[in-house]
Amino acid sequence: MKYAYYPGCSLHATQKAYDMSVKAVCKTLGIELWEIPDWVCCGASSAHSLGHLLGLAIPAKTLVSAEKEGLDVVAPCAACWQRLVWVNHEVTTNPDMRDKINKAIGAELKGTSKVLSIMEAVNSAGIDKISQAVKKPLKGLKVASYYGCYYVKPPKIAHVDDPESPHLIDDMMVALGAEAIDWPYKTECCGASLGFIDFDTTLMMSKKVLDFAVKSGAELIVTACPLCQMNLDMYQSKINKKFGTKYNIPVCYFTQLMAYTMGYSANELGMGKNYTAYESAFSKIG
Amino acid sequence: MSTCVNLSQAQTDHGDFIERVRKMSDQDVRKCYQCGKCSAGCPVHNCNGMDVSPNRIMRMVQLGMEEEVLKTKTIWVCVVCSTCTARCPRDIDIGRVMDGLRIMAYKKNYLQYAKNATDFHQTFFNNIATFGRAYEMAFAIGLTLKTGYMFGILDLAPATLLKGNLPFFPSKLKNSRQIKEIVENIKRMEGEK
Ligand code: SF4
Ligand code: SF4
Repeated sequence: MKYAYYPGCSLHATQKAYDMSVKAVCKTLGIELWEIPDWVCCGASSAHSLGHLLGLAIPAKTLVSAEKEGLDVVAPCAACWQRLVWVNHEVTTNPDMRDKINKAIGAELKGTSKVLSIMEAVNSAGIDKISQAVKKPLKGLKVASYYGCYYVKPPKIAHVDDPESPHLIDDMMVALGAEAIDWPYKTECCGASLGFIDFDTTLMMSKKVLDFAVKSGAELIVTACPLCQMNLDMYQSKINKKFGTKYNIPVCYFTQLMAYTMGYSANELGMGKNYTAYESAFSKIG
Repeated sequence: MSTCVNLSQAQTDHGDFIERVRKMSDQDVRKCYQCGKCSAGCPVHNCNGMDVSPNRIMRMVQLGMEEEVLKTKTIWVCVVCSTCTARCPRDIDIGRVMDGLRIMAYKKNYLQYAKNATDFHQTFFNNIATFGRAYEMAFAIGLTLKTGYMFGILDLAPATLLKGNLPFFPSKLKNSRQIKEIVENIKRMEGEK
Protein backbone atom coordinates (compact mmCIF):
# COMPACT_ATOMS: atom_id res chain seq x y z
CA MET A 1 0.00 0.00 0.00
CA LYS A 2 1.39 3.36 -0.97
CA TYR A 3 -0.10 6.82 -0.44
CA ALA A 4 0.90 10.37 -1.26
CA TYR A 5 1.45 12.08 2.09
CA TYR A 6 0.33 15.62 2.76
CA PRO A 7 1.47 16.44 6.31
CA GLY A 8 0.29 20.07 6.30
CA CYS A 9 1.88 22.94 8.18
CA SER A 10 1.21 21.95 11.76
CA LEU A 11 2.73 18.48 11.42
CA HIS A 12 5.94 20.13 10.35
CA ALA A 13 5.94 22.61 13.23
CA THR A 14 3.84 22.66 16.40
CA GLN A 15 2.53 19.12 16.01
CA LYS A 16 5.65 17.23 15.03
CA ALA A 17 4.70 14.41 17.40
CA TYR A 18 1.70 13.64 15.19
CA ASP A 19 3.96 13.35 12.15
CA MET A 20 6.36 11.06 14.03
CA SER A 21 3.58 8.77 15.22
CA VAL A 22 1.79 8.62 11.85
CA LYS A 23 5.02 7.52 10.23
CA ALA A 24 5.68 4.96 12.97
CA VAL A 25 2.23 3.38 12.65
CA CYS A 26 2.38 3.31 8.85
CA LYS A 27 5.82 1.74 8.90
CA THR A 28 4.67 -1.03 11.22
CA LEU A 29 1.59 -1.73 9.13
CA GLY A 30 3.47 -1.72 5.83
CA ILE A 31 1.87 1.48 4.55
CA GLU A 32 4.31 3.45 2.43
CA LEU A 33 4.07 7.25 2.55
CA TRP A 34 5.46 9.38 -0.26
CA GLU A 35 5.59 12.98 0.92
CA ILE A 36 4.34 15.34 -1.78
CA PRO A 37 7.34 17.44 -2.78
CA ASP A 38 6.99 21.18 -2.29
CA TRP A 39 3.46 20.98 -0.87
CA VAL A 40 1.96 24.29 0.23
CA CYS A 41 -0.40 25.27 3.06
CA CYS A 42 -4.06 24.29 2.50
CA GLY A 43 -5.15 27.79 3.49
CA ALA A 44 -7.57 26.74 6.28
CA SER A 45 -9.29 28.45 7.86
CA SER A 46 -8.52 31.81 6.27
CA ALA A 47 -8.42 31.34 2.50
CA HIS A 48 -12.03 30.11 2.25
CA SER A 49 -13.15 32.98 4.48
CA LEU A 50 -11.61 35.54 2.16
CA GLY A 51 -12.58 34.15 -1.25
CA HIS A 52 -14.40 31.06 -2.57
CA LEU A 53 -12.07 30.32 -5.48
CA LEU A 54 -9.07 31.19 -3.31
CA GLY A 55 -10.17 28.63 -0.73
CA LEU A 56 -10.29 25.92 -3.40
CA ALA A 57 -7.33 26.81 -5.59
CA ILE A 58 -4.73 26.84 -2.81
CA PRO A 59 -5.32 23.26 -1.61
CA ALA A 60 -5.81 22.18 -5.25
CA LYS A 61 -2.22 23.11 -5.97
CA THR A 62 -0.91 20.34 -3.75
CA LEU A 63 -3.15 17.66 -5.23
CA VAL A 64 -1.66 18.05 -8.68
CA SER A 65 1.56 16.12 -8.07
CA ALA A 66 -0.23 13.31 -6.22
CA GLU A 67 -2.54 12.92 -9.19
CA LYS A 68 0.42 12.80 -11.57
CA GLU A 69 1.91 9.97 -9.49
CA GLY A 70 -1.43 8.17 -9.60
CA LEU A 71 -1.58 7.94 -5.81
CA ASP A 72 -4.38 8.47 -3.33
CA VAL A 73 -3.62 11.12 -0.74
CA VAL A 74 -3.45 10.88 3.05
CA ALA A 75 -3.81 14.08 5.08
CA PRO A 76 -3.64 13.63 8.88
CA CYS A 77 -4.96 17.11 9.72
CA ALA A 78 -8.76 17.25 9.73
CA ALA A 79 -8.85 20.80 8.39
CA CYS A 80 -6.40 20.06 5.55
CA TRP A 81 -8.23 16.84 4.81
CA GLN A 82 -11.60 18.58 4.49
CA ARG A 83 -10.20 21.36 2.29
CA LEU A 84 -8.72 18.74 -0.06
CA VAL A 85 -11.98 16.80 -0.12
CA TRP A 86 -13.85 19.97 -1.07
CA VAL A 87 -11.48 20.51 -3.97
CA ASN A 88 -12.13 17.02 -5.31
CA HIS A 89 -15.85 17.47 -4.84
CA GLU A 90 -15.89 20.69 -6.85
CA VAL A 91 -13.51 19.42 -9.52
CA THR A 92 -15.57 16.27 -10.13
CA THR A 93 -19.08 17.77 -9.90
CA ASN A 94 -18.77 21.35 -11.11
CA PRO A 95 -17.04 21.73 -14.51
CA ASP A 96 -17.25 25.49 -14.37
CA MET A 97 -15.46 25.63 -11.03
CA ARG A 98 -12.96 23.00 -12.20
CA ASP A 99 -11.95 25.25 -15.08
CA LYS A 100 -11.56 28.21 -12.75
CA ILE A 101 -9.46 26.24 -10.29
CA ASN A 102 -7.24 24.93 -13.06
CA LYS A 103 -6.78 28.39 -14.46
CA ALA A 104 -5.88 29.75 -11.03
CA ILE A 105 -3.27 27.05 -10.39
CA GLY A 106 -1.98 26.87 -13.96
CA ALA A 107 -2.34 23.08 -14.07
CA GLU A 108 -4.91 20.44 -14.85
CA LEU A 109 -6.54 18.70 -11.93
CA LYS A 110 -9.07 15.94 -12.68
CA GLY A 111 -9.97 14.79 -9.19
CA THR A 112 -8.79 11.21 -9.72
CA SER A 113 -6.79 10.86 -6.49
CA LYS A 114 -8.95 9.97 -3.53
CA VAL A 115 -8.25 11.94 -0.35
CA LEU A 116 -8.16 9.75 2.74
CA SER A 117 -8.18 10.70 6.38
CA ILE A 118 -5.49 9.10 8.51
CA MET A 119 -8.05 6.94 10.31
CA GLU A 120 -9.20 5.47 6.99
CA ALA A 121 -5.64 4.96 5.80
CA VAL A 122 -4.58 3.16 8.96
CA ASN A 123 -7.79 1.18 9.03
CA SER A 124 -7.21 0.12 5.41
CA ALA A 125 -4.44 -2.16 6.68
CA GLY A 126 -7.19 -4.23 8.31
CA ILE A 127 -8.22 -4.60 11.95
CA ASP A 128 -6.59 -8.04 12.14
CA LYS A 129 -3.25 -6.72 11.03
CA ILE A 130 -3.50 -3.90 13.57
CA SER A 131 -4.24 -6.23 16.46
CA GLN A 132 -1.51 -8.64 15.37
CA ALA A 133 1.04 -5.83 15.48
CA VAL A 134 0.29 -5.07 19.14
CA LYS A 135 3.15 -5.95 21.48
CA LYS A 136 1.95 -4.06 24.58
CA PRO A 137 -1.86 -4.31 24.75
CA LEU A 138 -3.89 -1.60 26.42
CA LYS A 139 -5.40 -4.02 28.97
CA GLY A 140 -8.77 -2.38 29.18
CA LEU A 141 -7.54 1.21 29.38
CA LYS A 142 -10.65 3.39 29.09
CA VAL A 143 -10.18 5.46 25.95
CA ALA A 144 -12.47 8.19 24.65
CA SER A 145 -12.13 8.47 20.88
CA TYR A 146 -12.66 12.07 19.88
CA TYR A 147 -13.34 12.68 16.19
CA GLY A 148 -14.22 16.35 16.25
CA CYS A 149 -16.37 17.86 13.55
CA TYR A 150 -14.41 18.17 10.32
CA TYR A 151 -14.08 14.46 9.54
CA VAL A 152 -17.80 13.74 9.68
CA LYS A 153 -19.59 16.99 8.79
CA PRO A 154 -21.06 18.11 6.48
CA PRO A 155 -21.93 14.46 5.80
CA LYS A 156 -22.45 14.89 2.06
CA ILE A 157 -18.84 15.98 1.65
CA ALA A 158 -16.98 14.81 4.72
CA HIS A 159 -18.17 11.31 5.44
CA VAL A 160 -15.36 9.35 6.99
CA ASP A 161 -17.95 7.84 9.29
CA ASP A 162 -21.40 8.43 10.77
CA PRO A 163 -21.83 12.17 11.47
CA GLU A 164 -23.29 11.72 14.96
CA SER A 165 -21.90 8.40 16.09
CA PRO A 166 -18.66 7.38 14.36
CA HIS A 167 -16.77 4.27 15.47
CA LEU A 168 -13.72 3.87 13.23
CA ILE A 169 -11.19 4.96 15.88
CA ASP A 170 -13.13 3.13 18.60
CA ASP A 171 -12.81 -0.11 16.63
CA MET A 172 -9.07 0.37 16.31
CA MET A 173 -8.76 1.15 20.01
CA VAL A 174 -10.53 -2.10 20.82
CA ALA A 175 -8.08 -3.88 18.53
CA LEU A 176 -5.29 -2.45 20.69
CA GLY A 177 -6.92 -3.89 23.80
CA ALA A 178 -8.66 -0.75 25.04
CA GLU A 179 -12.15 -0.32 26.34
CA ALA A 180 -13.71 2.18 23.96
CA ILE A 181 -16.01 4.25 26.14
CA ASP A 182 -19.35 5.39 24.84
CA TRP A 183 -19.75 9.14 25.24
CA PRO A 184 -21.87 11.90 23.76
CA TYR A 185 -19.38 14.52 22.58
CA LYS A 186 -17.42 12.50 20.01
CA THR A 187 -18.18 14.86 17.16
CA GLU A 188 -18.79 18.15 18.95
CA CYS A 189 -16.54 20.97 17.88
CA CYS A 190 -13.63 21.86 20.19
CA GLY A 191 -13.51 25.42 18.86
CA ALA A 192 -10.96 24.69 16.12
CA SER A 193 -9.09 27.84 15.16
CA LEU A 194 -11.56 30.10 16.96
CA GLY A 195 -8.95 30.26 19.74
CA PHE A 196 -7.11 32.89 17.73
CA ILE A 197 -10.26 35.01 17.52
CA ASP A 198 -12.33 34.43 20.65
CA PHE A 199 -10.29 32.57 23.23
CA ASP A 200 -12.93 32.51 25.99
CA THR A 201 -15.59 30.93 23.80
CA THR A 202 -13.09 28.34 22.60
CA LEU A 203 -12.14 27.39 26.15
CA MET A 204 -15.80 26.93 26.97
CA MET A 205 -16.30 24.70 23.91
CA SER A 206 -13.30 22.54 24.75
CA LYS A 207 -14.29 22.37 28.39
CA LYS A 208 -17.58 20.69 27.47
CA VAL A 209 -15.71 18.04 25.50
CA LEU A 210 -13.31 17.34 28.36
CA ASP A 211 -16.16 17.31 30.84
CA PHE A 212 -18.14 14.65 29.01
CA ALA A 213 -15.08 12.49 28.44
CA VAL A 214 -14.15 12.61 32.12
CA LYS A 215 -17.71 12.06 33.33
CA SER A 216 -18.02 9.08 31.02
CA GLY A 217 -15.10 7.46 32.77
CA ALA A 218 -12.32 7.99 30.22
CA GLU A 219 -8.72 7.68 31.39
CA LEU A 220 -7.35 9.05 28.14
CA ILE A 221 -8.64 10.94 25.10
CA VAL A 222 -7.33 10.21 21.62
CA THR A 223 -7.63 12.68 18.75
CA ALA A 224 -6.94 12.74 15.02
CA CYS A 225 -6.67 16.48 14.44
CA PRO A 226 -4.00 19.03 15.39
CA LEU A 227 -6.62 21.61 16.35
CA CYS A 228 -8.48 19.21 18.63
CA GLN A 229 -5.17 18.16 20.16
CA MET A 230 -4.10 21.77 20.75
CA ASN A 231 -7.40 22.81 22.30
CA LEU A 232 -7.83 19.82 24.61
CA ASP A 233 -4.19 19.25 25.49
CA MET A 234 -2.31 22.54 25.42
CA TYR A 235 -5.21 24.59 26.77
CA GLN A 236 -6.34 22.12 29.44
CA SER A 237 -4.47 24.11 32.09
CA LYS A 238 -6.10 27.33 30.85
CA ILE A 239 -9.51 25.68 31.09
CA ASN A 240 -8.79 24.60 34.66
CA LYS A 241 -7.70 28.09 35.58
CA LYS A 242 -10.69 29.77 33.97
CA PHE A 243 -13.40 27.46 35.24
CA GLY A 244 -11.83 26.28 38.50
CA THR A 245 -11.92 22.69 37.25
CA LYS A 246 -9.32 20.00 37.93
CA TYR A 247 -9.19 18.07 34.68
CA ASN A 248 -6.08 16.01 34.47
CA ILE A 249 -6.74 13.73 31.56
CA PRO A 250 -4.04 12.92 29.03
CA VAL A 251 -4.83 13.77 25.42
CA CYS A 252 -2.78 12.29 22.60
CA TYR A 253 -3.08 11.34 18.95
CA PHE A 254 -4.57 7.92 18.33
CA THR A 255 -1.47 7.17 16.30
CA GLN A 256 0.74 7.91 19.32
CA LEU A 257 -1.16 5.42 21.45
CA MET A 258 -1.24 2.88 18.63
CA ALA A 259 2.47 3.13 17.87
CA TYR A 260 3.24 2.83 21.58
CA THR A 261 1.37 -0.45 21.79
CA MET A 262 3.29 -1.58 18.72
CA GLY A 263 6.58 -1.21 20.54
CA TYR A 264 7.79 2.35 19.96
CA SER A 265 9.06 4.29 22.95
CA ALA A 266 7.34 7.43 24.23
CA ASN A 267 10.37 9.37 23.10
CA GLU A 268 10.20 8.14 19.52
CA LEU A 269 6.60 9.32 19.41
CA GLY A 270 7.22 12.80 20.78
CA MET A 271 5.03 12.16 23.83
CA GLY A 272 7.03 14.80 25.69
CA LYS A 273 5.75 17.41 23.26
CA ASN A 274 2.23 16.94 24.59
CA TYR A 275 1.27 19.18 27.51
CA THR A 276 -0.88 16.86 29.62
CA ALA A 277 0.94 14.16 31.60
CA TYR A 278 0.54 10.79 29.91
CA GLU A 279 2.79 8.73 32.21
CA SER A 280 0.26 7.36 34.69
CA ALA A 281 -2.14 6.23 31.94
CA PHE A 282 0.70 4.73 29.90
CA SER A 283 2.09 2.90 32.92
CA LYS A 284 -0.91 0.55 32.78
CA ILE A 285 0.01 -0.55 29.26
CA GLY A 286 2.10 -3.61 28.64
CA MET B 1 -27.34 46.30 15.70
CA SER B 2 -30.43 48.46 15.45
CA THR B 3 -33.54 46.75 16.77
CA CYS B 4 -35.95 48.60 14.50
CA VAL B 5 -35.79 47.74 10.81
CA ASN B 6 -37.92 49.06 8.00
CA LEU B 7 -38.63 45.82 6.18
CA SER B 8 -40.19 47.25 3.06
CA GLN B 9 -37.22 49.55 2.71
CA ALA B 10 -34.86 46.57 3.17
CA GLN B 11 -36.74 44.68 0.46
CA THR B 12 -36.60 47.64 -1.93
CA ASP B 13 -32.91 48.28 -1.35
CA HIS B 14 -31.63 44.74 -0.82
CA GLY B 15 -34.31 42.52 -2.34
CA ASP B 16 -31.71 40.75 -4.42
CA PHE B 17 -29.50 40.01 -1.40
CA ILE B 18 -30.82 36.46 -1.06
CA GLU B 19 -30.02 35.86 -4.73
CA ARG B 20 -26.48 37.16 -4.33
CA VAL B 21 -26.05 34.93 -1.28
CA ARG B 22 -27.22 32.01 -3.41
CA LYS B 23 -24.67 32.81 -6.09
CA MET B 24 -21.90 33.21 -3.53
CA SER B 25 -22.65 30.07 -1.50
CA ASP B 26 -24.63 27.90 -3.89
CA GLN B 27 -27.30 27.65 -1.17
CA ASP B 28 -30.92 28.76 -1.36
CA VAL B 29 -31.77 30.42 1.93
CA ARG B 30 -35.40 30.79 0.80
CA LYS B 31 -35.89 27.16 1.80
CA CYS B 32 -35.31 27.90 5.50
CA TYR B 33 -38.54 27.59 7.51
CA GLN B 34 -37.07 28.73 10.82
CA CYS B 35 -37.19 25.48 12.76
CA GLY B 36 -34.18 26.64 14.78
CA LYS B 37 -32.36 23.31 14.65
CA CYS B 38 -29.18 24.97 13.38
CA SER B 39 -29.02 27.23 16.42
CA ALA B 40 -29.95 24.47 18.85
CA GLY B 41 -26.87 22.46 17.91
CA CYS B 42 -24.43 25.26 17.17
CA PRO B 43 -21.50 24.87 19.60
CA VAL B 44 -20.35 28.48 19.25
CA HIS B 45 -23.84 29.86 19.84
CA ASN B 46 -24.30 27.53 22.81
CA CYS B 47 -21.16 28.96 24.38
CA ASN B 48 -22.47 32.50 23.92
CA GLY B 49 -19.91 33.28 21.24
CA MET B 50 -22.36 34.76 18.73
CA ASP B 51 -24.26 38.04 18.74
CA VAL B 52 -27.02 36.69 16.48
CA SER B 53 -28.08 33.02 16.35
CA PRO B 54 -27.62 31.10 13.07
CA ASN B 55 -31.35 30.74 12.36
CA ARG B 56 -31.80 34.49 12.82
CA ILE B 57 -29.02 35.08 10.32
CA MET B 58 -30.97 32.96 7.86
CA ARG B 59 -34.15 34.94 8.49
CA MET B 60 -32.30 38.23 8.13
CA VAL B 61 -30.97 37.09 4.76
CA GLN B 62 -34.54 36.28 3.70
CA LEU B 63 -35.67 39.73 4.76
CA GLY B 64 -32.92 41.50 2.83
CA MET B 65 -31.21 42.84 5.94
CA GLU B 66 -27.89 42.94 4.16
CA GLU B 67 -26.08 45.60 6.15
CA GLU B 68 -27.20 44.15 9.47
CA VAL B 69 -26.11 40.61 8.56
CA LEU B 70 -22.74 41.60 7.20
CA LYS B 71 -21.97 43.54 10.36
CA THR B 72 -22.57 40.68 12.78
CA LYS B 73 -19.89 38.95 14.80
CA THR B 74 -21.65 35.64 14.09
CA ILE B 75 -20.51 35.33 10.50
CA TRP B 76 -16.88 35.61 11.66
CA VAL B 77 -16.97 33.30 14.67
CA CYS B 78 -18.75 30.47 12.89
CA VAL B 79 -16.08 27.76 12.69
CA VAL B 80 -17.86 25.93 9.87
CA CYS B 81 -18.13 22.82 12.00
CA SER B 82 -21.20 22.02 9.85
CA THR B 83 -23.23 20.58 12.69
CA CYS B 84 -26.09 22.80 11.52
CA THR B 85 -25.64 21.58 7.95
CA ALA B 86 -25.74 17.95 9.04
CA ARG B 87 -29.05 18.52 10.83
CA CYS B 88 -30.93 21.06 8.72
CA PRO B 89 -34.24 19.47 7.63
CA ARG B 90 -34.30 21.76 4.58
CA ASP B 91 -30.91 20.53 3.41
CA ILE B 92 -29.24 23.94 3.49
CA ASP B 93 -25.48 24.02 3.95
CA ILE B 94 -25.50 26.80 6.55
CA GLY B 95 -21.74 26.59 6.99
CA ARG B 96 -21.33 27.54 3.35
CA VAL B 97 -23.81 30.37 3.74
CA MET B 98 -21.65 31.69 6.61
CA ASP B 99 -18.53 31.36 4.45
CA GLY B 100 -20.28 33.26 1.66
CA LEU B 101 -21.42 36.02 4.02
CA ARG B 102 -17.89 36.40 5.34
CA ILE B 103 -16.55 36.81 1.84
CA MET B 104 -19.24 39.41 1.07
CA ALA B 105 -18.41 41.34 4.26
CA TYR B 106 -14.71 41.15 3.47
CA LYS B 107 -15.26 42.47 -0.04
CA LYS B 108 -17.18 45.41 1.42
CA ASN B 109 -14.25 45.98 3.74
CA TYR B 110 -16.44 45.52 6.83
CA LEU B 111 -13.48 44.63 9.00
CA GLN B 112 -14.21 46.49 12.18
CA TYR B 113 -17.22 44.44 13.36
CA ALA B 114 -15.20 41.42 14.38
CA LYS B 115 -11.74 42.87 14.38
CA ASN B 116 -9.99 39.91 16.01
CA ALA B 117 -11.31 37.66 13.27
CA THR B 118 -10.38 39.81 10.32
CA ASP B 119 -6.96 40.52 11.88
CA PHE B 120 -6.46 36.78 12.31
CA HIS B 121 -7.42 35.90 8.74
CA GLN B 122 -5.37 38.67 7.21
CA THR B 123 -2.29 37.94 9.33
CA PHE B 124 -2.51 34.23 8.66
CA PHE B 125 -3.13 34.66 4.97
CA ASN B 126 -0.27 37.10 4.49
CA ASN B 127 1.93 34.66 6.35
CA ILE B 128 1.19 31.70 4.07
CA ALA B 129 1.28 33.87 0.95
CA THR B 130 4.77 34.98 1.95
CA PHE B 131 6.20 31.64 3.05
CA GLY B 132 4.09 29.09 1.17
CA ARG B 133 3.57 27.28 4.45
CA ALA B 134 2.50 28.65 7.82
CA TYR B 135 5.49 30.08 9.64
CA GLU B 136 3.96 29.98 13.08
CA MET B 137 6.54 32.01 14.96
CA ALA B 138 6.08 34.99 12.66
CA PHE B 139 2.32 34.49 12.67
CA ALA B 140 2.13 34.40 16.48
CA ILE B 141 4.16 37.57 16.78
CA GLY B 142 2.26 39.34 13.99
CA LEU B 143 -1.12 38.45 15.48
CA THR B 144 0.01 39.51 18.96
CA LEU B 145 1.02 42.91 17.66
CA LYS B 146 -2.49 43.36 16.30
CA THR B 147 -4.74 41.67 18.85
CA GLY B 148 -2.53 40.89 21.85
CA TYR B 149 -3.19 37.20 21.18
CA MET B 150 -0.10 35.78 22.93
CA PHE B 151 -0.42 37.88 26.07
CA GLY B 152 -3.26 35.63 27.20
CA ILE B 153 -1.18 32.46 26.94
CA LEU B 154 2.25 33.69 28.01
CA ASP B 155 2.30 31.11 30.82
CA LEU B 156 2.43 28.38 28.16
CA ALA B 157 5.35 29.96 26.30
CA PRO B 158 8.28 28.48 28.28
CA ALA B 159 6.95 24.93 27.95
CA THR B 160 6.19 25.48 24.28
CA LEU B 161 9.70 26.64 23.50
CA LEU B 162 11.26 23.95 25.67
CA LYS B 163 9.30 21.23 23.94
CA GLY B 164 10.46 22.58 20.59
CA ASN B 165 6.86 23.12 19.54
CA LEU B 166 7.43 26.52 17.96
CA PRO B 167 10.31 26.37 15.48
CA PHE B 168 12.30 29.57 15.03
CA PHE B 169 12.72 29.21 11.28
CA PRO B 170 10.19 28.77 8.48
CA SER B 171 9.72 25.37 6.82
CA LYS B 172 12.00 24.94 3.81
CA LEU B 173 10.27 25.02 0.47
CA LYS B 174 11.78 25.24 -3.01
CA ASN B 175 9.05 27.40 -4.45
CA SER B 176 7.58 29.54 -1.70
CA ARG B 177 5.82 31.76 -4.26
CA GLN B 178 3.15 29.19 -5.15
CA ILE B 179 0.36 30.77 -3.10
CA LYS B 180 1.27 34.27 -4.20
CA GLU B 181 1.04 33.13 -7.81
CA ILE B 182 -2.45 31.74 -7.23
CA VAL B 183 -3.53 35.04 -5.66
CA GLU B 184 -2.15 36.93 -8.65
CA ASN B 185 -3.85 34.58 -11.12
CA ILE B 186 -7.21 34.99 -9.38
CA LYS B 187 -6.85 38.76 -9.39
CA ARG B 188 -6.14 38.65 -13.11
CA MET B 189 -9.15 36.36 -13.71
CA GLU B 190 -11.41 38.73 -11.76
CA GLY B 191 -10.11 41.64 -13.82
CA GLU B 192 -10.95 39.80 -17.05
CA LYS B 193 -14.61 39.40 -16.08
S1 SF4 C 1 -32.00 24.20 10.53
FE1 SF4 C 1 -32.32 24.83 8.38
S2 SF4 C 1 -34.54 25.19 8.19
FE2 SF4 C 1 -34.07 25.10 10.40
S3 SF4 C 1 -33.76 27.26 10.96
FE3 SF4 C 1 -31.75 26.42 10.49
S4 SF4 C 1 -31.44 26.86 8.31
FE4 SF4 C 1 -33.62 27.14 8.73
S1 SF4 D 1 -21.15 25.70 11.04
FE1 SF4 D 1 -21.14 27.66 12.11
S2 SF4 D 1 -23.28 28.13 12.45
FE2 SF4 D 1 -23.19 25.98 11.92
S3 SF4 D 1 -23.11 24.92 13.88
FE3 SF4 D 1 -20.98 25.22 13.22
S4 SF4 D 1 -20.34 27.15 14.15
FE4 SF4 D 1 -22.58 27.08 14.26
